[in-house]
Amino acid sequence: MDFAFSPDQRLLRDSARAFLDQHVTPATLRPLWDDPRGESEATWKEMAQLGWLGLALPEAYGGSALGMVETAILLDELGRAAYPGPYLPTMLAAAALEAAGGEAQRTRWLPAIATGEARASLALLDADLDWRPEAAATRAEKTATGFALTGTKRFVPWAHVANVLLVPAQAPEGLTLFCVDPAASGVTLAPAQTMDPGTRWSSVTLARAPVAADAVLGAPGQAGPLLAALLRRGAVAAAAEMLGAARRCLDLAVGYAKVREQFGQPIGSFQAIRHKCAEMLLEVENSHAAVYYAAWALDAQAEDHEIAASIAKAYVGDAARKVCGEAIQVHGGIGFTWEYDLHIYFKRAKALEAQYGDGDYHRELIVRRVAA
Amino acid sequence: MDLNYSPEDRAFRAEVRRWLEANVPKDELTTLEARKAWHRRLYEAGYVGMLWPKAYGGWGATPMQQAIVQDEMARIGAPPPINGLGIGFIGPTIIVHGTDWQKQRYLKKMLTAEEIWCQLYSEPNAGSDLASLKTRAEDQGDHFLVNGQKIWTSSGPIADWGILLARSDPKVAKHKGIACFLLHMRQPGVEVRPLRQITGHALFSEVFMTNARAETRDLIGRLDQGWAIAQTTLGYERGANSLGRVTRYAIAFHQLVRAAKELRRGGRPLLEDPVVRAKLGRAWAELEVQRYAGLRVLSALNKGEPPGAASSITKLSYTEFEKRYYETALEILGPWGQLMASREEFEEVDTSSGEPGTWATAFLWARAGTIYSGSSEIQKNIIGERVLGLPKEVRADRLKA
Repeated sequence: MDFAFSPDQRLLRDSARAFLDQHVTPATLRPLWDDPRGESEATWKEMAQLGWLGLALPEAYGGSALGMVETAILLDELGRAAYPGPYLPTMLAAAALEAAGGEAQRTRWLPAIATGEARASLALLDADLDWRPEAAATRAEKTATGFALTGTKRFVPWAHVANVLLVPAQAPEGLTLFCVDPAASGVTLAPAQTMDPGTRWSSVTLARAPVAADAVLGAPGQAGPLLAALLRRGAVAAAAEMLGAARRCLDLAVGYAKVREQFGQPIGSFQAIRHKCAEMLLEVENSHAAVYYAAWALDAQAEDHEIAASIAKAYVGDAARKVCGEAIQVHGGIGFTWEYDLHIYFKRAKALEAQYGDGDYHRELIVRRVAA
Repeated sequence: MDLNYSPEDRAFRAEVRRWLEANVPKDELTTLEARKAWHRRLYEAGYVGMLWPKAYGGWGATPMQQAIVQDEMARIGAPPPINGLGIGFIGPTIIVHGTDWQKQRYLKKMLTAEEIWCQLYSEPNAGSDLASLKTRAEDQGDHFLVNGQKIWTSSGPIADWGILLARSDPKVAKHKGIACFLLHMRQPGVEVRPLRQITGHALFSEVFMTNARAETRDLIGRLDQGWAIAQTTLGYERGANSLGRVTRYAIAFHQLVRAAKELRRGGRPLLEDPVVRAKLGRAWAELEVQRYAGLRVLSALNKGEPPGAASSITKLSYTEFEKRYYETALEILGPWGQLMASREEFEEVDTSSGEPGTWATAFLWARAGTIYSGSSEIQKNIIGERVLGLPKEVRADRLKA
């Protein structure tokens, strides 16, 4: 039993932090807010060179074959930096391609993802915003060459920069996962403007969008368990990124409370502020335990890995919202300004809270498992 | 990072489980003698004083092994050992700060519960501000004369000895004039009055000392060292009971789920009510996070890392959780959860425990956790100052000193 990171894991965290502190700072990410892509191509390429994009991919495809714990360490740091870009959805889609893809699909996409040439995303939500995989309402009809997909996918992260979208749809055989080319005919992307300028969501409309027969991921009708597993992985990944955002907000709040003076004293000397900071630390520490327990459980396929993923997402979603919000409160007026950086992390945590199953969804999953 | 229990720990758990299944008393322990006898059996099995060095009668076990024993005892519902304060922190204090004579005289009988110990720290006017305590200890040559009042003393009526903080020098700054003694409780100058709490039970006492006698050989450390000695022990051993605690919460949770299946509202079981389900989901998530955090602390303790001020986070976390947890339980149970006395209709919500008033008592008792051993507010001060490095507050008593 060892809850501490290994020396290699610490090295990964420290080197990620060093890179991000230099290359992904508020000064470098603010200009991207008005950029239609919203991410930096140069940063993406550097992340590829650092081995981050292939971190969890098999070595045969140019990856490092590391696990969810290492992925969470990286996402923790990316959250702390409020990195804007398609890392999380690409990593998830890659996991799906690796788990269910045929050799041709893996060879087509995995090396390209590891080298930074391709980005990917998953379109998990239909118009009614039901996270249950079986609730997918998009239809896949059989055609002479394969399938035609019809439906509307909502809030697809980073779809506008993706080279491939993984789209669940109801085929005659049942729930099936398709690789869809976002540039194909019948596929329309409508990017949405959201309150976090570093998060990009699109609506993806499929109007009899043609998909070749060999673009099915895994066996037709068998996508349910794969999608449930991806949602768990996404939940833990989002929790790790929210944890990083919360860490940053705690650091900013504590730093500010030490230097900001009112009534002739640093405000951190007042119990009203100090106690708030202590409560924030408690939430960060509990979130750390929840994220890394769940990440380890996924890697180890521990008996409780499914519920641990839901617990991490539900708990950290609430905790990160609280910590980031209280950081604004500790700062007072300056924390409410556009110029100050706090809102960047506050908004990122909120955006992630709504992704890969929100708290209500995961709490229901928890009750199903524990109170059956 | 590897959260699997080691093969040794798994084997140890299996061995503890076997022992408990064979040895846990079938009937409730109603007398002090019966509880002492059970304590003695636990000690002889190696399950009490586990972290104490072997030289002092302990077992030199690992924190993980101790946590496993507590977890298995919670799982099977075994009666706890007694003398928890003695073994948890008074004994370790004597081991660190005591004389050879004191170690010889007190430690073994403490471990075996031959002598029961209590703590004489808090006073009516010295709670969170413990250093302002007023109980006096006046040097009479071979002994000290003790006068004053203590409060919130657990095990007061059954205690043979107490660890006492008393003011030996009222003329110096308040933290400096405090001495630490071992006080014989069975003497004419010591009167113990049980103090009834909001649960209706009397687990605590008030202790009145009127010209009581503390022997000079029972002084721990130097005369002015009492405060420092008390400080070194306050953070001791948080974390070792984390697993057992969460197991007890989990047992209560499954009982709550059974009740939510039995109780009906609007023609369907409460468990089908989405509002109830949301509450249960949140409660289980928080409960499991307590377990994960406990494992993290335990893994650090097991590597010999001192818990330090971070133990304040653990204490703050689980005591605040426990209040929310039983509040949620009583929201779900409604008025059923408030019943105290045994009644037939109560059984449908409390089927498994057989103890009437379990929920109400747990709900009430949860209020104590955020007050004892340093209130939540004190823990937040410690976290703020010693973990986050926030500036100390300007305090009136520090200005004067």
